Amino acid sequence: MKTVETIINPKKRVGEESPGKIYSDKLKVRARREWRGVKDTFYDYTRWLYLLSVLGRFIMVPRNVKGFLRYRWMMSYLFVPHGMDKFTIGLRDEALRIAHTSFNFVIADVTQAIANCFRGDRRVGNDTEYSDKCVITDENSMVTFMMGFDKDKVHTILREVPTMFASNIFHQFNVMHYLDVAQEYGISGDVCPMPEAEAGISIDDDFCVLGCCAVQNNTTCDGSLMGNGIIAKRLEREYGIPTFQLATPLRHKEPDVLEYAATEIKKAIAFVEEHTGEKWDWDRYFAAAKRVNYATKCRIAQMEINSTPYPQFFGAAFSLYNDTNYMGNSGRDPQFVKIDRKLLELAEQGYKAKRMYAKEYRHRAIIWGVQPQYVIDQLYWLLQCWGIVPLTDMLSVINTDMIVDEDTPENREQAYRDMAMLNMEMIMRNHTHGGYKVLLDDLWELCEQMNADLVMMWEHMSCKALTGMHGMFEEQGRARGIHVMWVSHDLCDPRVFTRQAIRDQVNKYMRTVFREEPLDPSLEIIPDNEAY
Amino acid sequence: MCKCKCKIAKALGKLLLKLLAVVLGFFAVTFTMYIFNLDMKLMAVIAPWLEKWYDHLEHNQYI
Repeated sequence: MKTVETIINPKKRVGEESPGKIYSDKLKVRARREWRGVKDTFYDYTRWLYLLSVLGRFIMVPRNVKGFLRYRWMMSYLFVPHGMDKFTIGLRDEALRIAHTSFNFVIADVTQAIANCFRGDRRVGNDTEYSDKCVITDENSMVTFMMGFDKDKVHTILREVPTMFASNIFHQFNVMHYLDVAQEYGISGDVCPMPEAEAGISIDDDFCVLGCCAVQNNTTCDGSLMGNGIIAKRLEREYGIPTFQLATPLRHKEPDVLEYAATEIKKAIAFVEEHTGEKWDWDRYFAAAKRVNYATKCRIAQMEINSTPYPQFFGAAFSLYNDTNYMGNSGRDPQFVKIDRKLLELAEQGYKAKRMYAKEYRHRAIIWGVQPQYVIDQLYWLLQCWGIVPLTDMLSVINTDMIVDEDTPENREQAYRDMAMLNMEMIMRNHTHGGYKVLLDDLWELCEQMNADLVMMWEHMSCKALTGMHGMFEEQGRARGIHVMWVSHDLCDPRVFTRQAIRDQVNKYMRTVFREEPLDPSLEIIPDNEAY
Repeated sequence: MCKCKCKIAKALGKLLLKLLAVVLGFFAVTFTMYIFNLDMKLMAVIAPWLEKWYDHLEHNQYI
């Protein structure tokens, strides 16, 4: 089997050695925050103050209080600092700053998204003038078809992000109610809990109602199609919000699907123009395309740093920042450029200083499959407890091609194809659909490229797209001498696999197959199954 | 003139001391909250009440 050289951290960790001590079996939150030495604790404290200021400014607006009391998913708002703490376990120096810079920005972005939802919501702010310029888009959809619209005149509302996606990260039990509602309605329990919860929110009438139109996407699976059907029915028939179905080919590696996909993008743009009354602007599009390319360059550079013995930007923050930047933003907001630049500077600085974030780096892992929302911070735990460095996750391995960013007549036609390509190869679709090449071959290439000796396969038990290939992963991993460690979960439902049940699968593999002892035994069992 | 300058310096010194006391007080209170996770402990007390609140709300369930 392939092995990688163990790297011992020559520097002693500043502050407390073992973050396992901060958990409590009596509380649903941590007993205290981590002591990281004076410099890093003070930095973490100032970021905590910043987060409180973001949350405080939000709740000062009366309509946001109204929305907070109306929508159950707003419970997660209370636990945002708790969620942020999950992303910084054991981190110091540049990695701590990277986690805060990226994820604090995501939090501020999502808080703004909630404020926008409440502003236009018929039950809360009921600002009809604003609502008439809002386009609801699918949470798992690329917003490339909005790149040419003025974002201050046409507002893209990804209402499922704060309602379901982010909510489950900050508060692990927050979507259980909606899963129960969906199942009471008659949807079976073995459907992917993400679209099922979204359908449950719609059935429970717990989505904000706003917008002049909506664009839905055949995201990735049968579950998402089922969820979209229920949501669209309510949007169109009950609330009178016309909904466009952006049908995106799943076999995105086949060249003959591109023209069809480009036509779909044209239709989506025409639909938005018709309902908002705003016109597509090519100058705006190409300016956004330049920013998309810059984000791609930065992501490639980050991956290159992670291919070295001293990775810097990794874990859930890497994944969720890419998610927000690549899909939710798609070059529309210039603020991301500043953050991209800052993150790259920090990563380069950490790399030059050969900064390590655990006592030892024993294994280099590619994280493949769909990650569980409620234990998304497990990648930091892997590093601290077992010395496994999570080099990248599947959802962050996305487009690396540059799109056209100069305005010429030929490029305008190519731009539709670029938007279609980005949409087809968006985060969830890129590897879970498109066939054998993208799910298996790409993984082994990545292992080679990033010098990984281990693949941690998230086995989302309700995801039929991935479980069907279980045997092939095993067989091909064995042939290449790469360990494949399977870790089952149920995406958003902690009742099926608790956090510790998920970690135990890693613990068992590391002890029985690798015959290793944990770097930090205090983290092997953490009493956080009942924690938010 | 000298007396006047002294008075201003005294007043300025007092103001700075007050400002320092406020900053230190703010730091002491917020840092205690931060390090002992008091903010999240408080939220954990509020959350069950809030859940009850959400449970009692009438929703137009789609059946």
